[in-house]
Amino acid sequence: MNRNSLRLRVTTFYVGSLAVALLVFSAAVYFGVKTFLTKSLERMLSNNAHSIISDYLVPLNQKGESWLVAEMSESYPAGYSEPFVRVSQGARVLYQSGDMRDPFVSISKLPLPSDQKWFNTFHRETTTTGQRIVLYTVPYQTPQGSVIFVETGAMIEPIRHVLRSLLLILCATTPIILIAAAIGGYALMSRPLRPVVVLTEQAERVGRKELGERLAIIQTGDELERLSFALNRMIDRLETALAHNHRFSADASHELRTPLTIIRGELESLTQMPSLPAPVLDGIGSALEESNRMAKIVHSLMTISRLDCGEDKIEFLPVDLVEIVAVTLDHMSLLAEEKHINLRFRPGAAVYVAGDSMRLKQIVVNLVDNAIKYTPDGGDVSLFVTAEQKKGIIVVTDTGIGIPAASLPLIFNRFYRADQARSRESGGTGLGLSIVKAICGVHGGEAFVESSEAGGATFRIELPLLSLSAMQIDQLKAAGPFEFLPSEHAKSANTKSPVSTRIL
Amino acid sequence: MRILVVEDEHKVSDLIKRGLTSERYAVDVAADGIEGLEFVATYPYDLMILDLMIPRLTGEEVLQRVRRKNAFLPILVLTARDSIDDKVKLFELGADDYLTKPFAFAELLMRVRALLRRGPVNRSSTLRVGDLELDRLTQQVRRAGRRIDLTAKEYALLEYFMQNEERVLSRNMIIEHVWDQSFDGITNIVDVYVRHLRSKVDDGNLFKMIRTVRGTGYTIRSENET
Repeated sequence: MNRNSLRLRVTTFYVGSLAVALLVFSAAVYFGVKTFLTKSLERMLSNNAHSIISDYLVPLNQKGESWLVAEMSESYPAGYSEPFVRVSQGARVLYQSGDMRDPFVSISKLPLPSDQKWFNTFHRETTTTGQRIVLYTVPYQTPQGSVIFVETGAMIEPIRHVLRSLLLILCATTPIILIAAAIGGYALMSRPLRPVVVLTEQAERVGRKELGERLAIIQTGDELERLSFALNRMIDRLETALAHNHRFSADASHELRTPLTIIRGELESLTQMPSLPAPVLDGIGSALEESNRMAKIVHSLMTISRLDCGEDKIEFLPVDLVEIVAVTLDHMSLLAEEKHINLRFRPGAAVYVAGDSMRLKQIVVNLVDNAIKYTPDGGDVSLFVTAEQKKGIIVVTDTGIGIPAASLPLIFNRFYRADQARSRESGGTGLGLSIVKAICGVHGGEAFVESSEAGGATFRIELPLLSLSAMQIDQLKAAGPFEFLPSEHAKSANTKSPVSTRIL
Repeated sequence: MRILVVEDEHKVSDLIKRGLTSERYAVDVAADGIEGLEFVATYPYDLMILDLMIPRLTGEEVLQRVRRKNAFLPILVLTARDSIDDKVKLFELGADDYLTKPFAFAELLMRVRALLRRGPVNRSSTLRVGDLELDRLTQQVRRAGRRIDLTAKEYALLEYFMQNEERVLSRNMIIEHVWDQSFDGITNIVDVYVRHLRSKVDDGNLFKMIRTVRGTGYTIRSENET
């Protein structure tokens, strides 16, 4: 799952908001309930206290103490839990509802009211058995002038119990709600996001293949429809820009070729003049050589740009890489011999890929030429052709001067030269490896280079393997060029950059 | 032999005209497609050299229109484009040969000669240049009676030289003929092979037959003709 996906981000955002809302709500409910319960307990205590005063203490003078005890033991029987009451005068207790049994609270051990500050207020006490209770004390002035205290009290535990249960419910339900919301929301998001996914897939396809295609407009009437229109307009502009670019390449090439023809022709006709002094002939010869090189560069540039923009239609046929390498080396053996370089290749079983044999040959030619060029006299240039995991592989290894680590990532760039002076001198165009890369590209393959500072370079070409039986290969060959989409083939491999480099 | 050159680039047509005239051909120049068609309709030409990028009518159109009326006029196309597709299309339209700019005049001349060649081509089994002999049947090469051992590539190279005695062969022509287009990019393959061939053919002889024409290519010539 992509951590940055829109779907995930939207879901996270609203689940987060929901969590905050739920927290605030839970807190409000909790404290609301707590306040309500406390207040109603307190109201009950104060009501009881005042009704004791009005019902039993006011008529006390006429009825006497024994009446009080009898009446009160009916309303507030001893040992009865809640609320407990105590009526006291000085140190003498007139009546008390008694100790509670379950849970055991010995009210009798509570100190008698003395402190003025507790009068007419609710205060909390801890009993000797560790129970928290809330007490309410009211003083009553008898007509005789003495003071009788009425105390009412109740345990806080039931309220706390309710609050604990409430908290438990809130704590348990909040995550469940959040998880359900997250899952539901994530699933729900897939619907509005589906057009975006479709759009993305289409855009990727357009990017991979020709630009000629357009995205299907998503007719939702919303922002996505606008987006698809906008993308199509962008592709239009890109296509125009690319067309201009192609036009420019073709024009530039034509414009360069004609003057080159003239330069060549004029120089050649000069050499035909009788009795030219040697330095003049030498100068003309040198100019001719340079015009040849310019022609070669123009030609190579055109080749690369045509390969890159897919202008050249490649005729795909089954090609045996082993055969290609063997034939090519046969044609180049003298180049190696000249420098006393051992050109090694041991042909093995056929390795078939789909490709254009001329182009594939050019890969081998350029790589081997390169290897020979940069390997000193008496060195080795070895080639291997293998089939590995759906790939046909050509490896060219030399014992040459090696490539500096800093140059490795740039080695396939146009006109890049690892060693300026050396390569100019050897008369290359600086485009050989770019051509190799471009040819690999149209075949859905990749080119890699490895080198160590100590010397020696290894070029590795990976092409999609044509893993078919010999009979199928023969049938394909007989059927002629076939449709082959290198981009589809290479899709899985394309997550890597097309030209990757590794330093040993 | 009368040749029509259809080319809008004045300097290019001038060069071709000068070169071909010195080879004793009669040369006319048309500067655009319409003029080219008029010339073809008016004079009997033995060969037409046609540039593809010309004003008023494209080279392709000229090619098609000429072919509709005259099936036999050999047409050599000059093109700045060199993709295989373009070349195939040219042959489909009726071109007999093509040459990619920039070209060596020697190459143009050779193609012109090949297109104008009348009568049987020299197909005798033995090629001779001076005291050098190449027997195509036995693939044996001798100089002044002394046998020279050549590899297959060297043999192909020498045969190509000897078929074109006295003519300058550009590296491009040699590559196309003895190797193939995919070896185009290599820097010095032709030079290396020619050097080896030369050492086998010329070493120990006073007269060096294989000559370098600097900036252009190579040629083979015999002693008695110089």
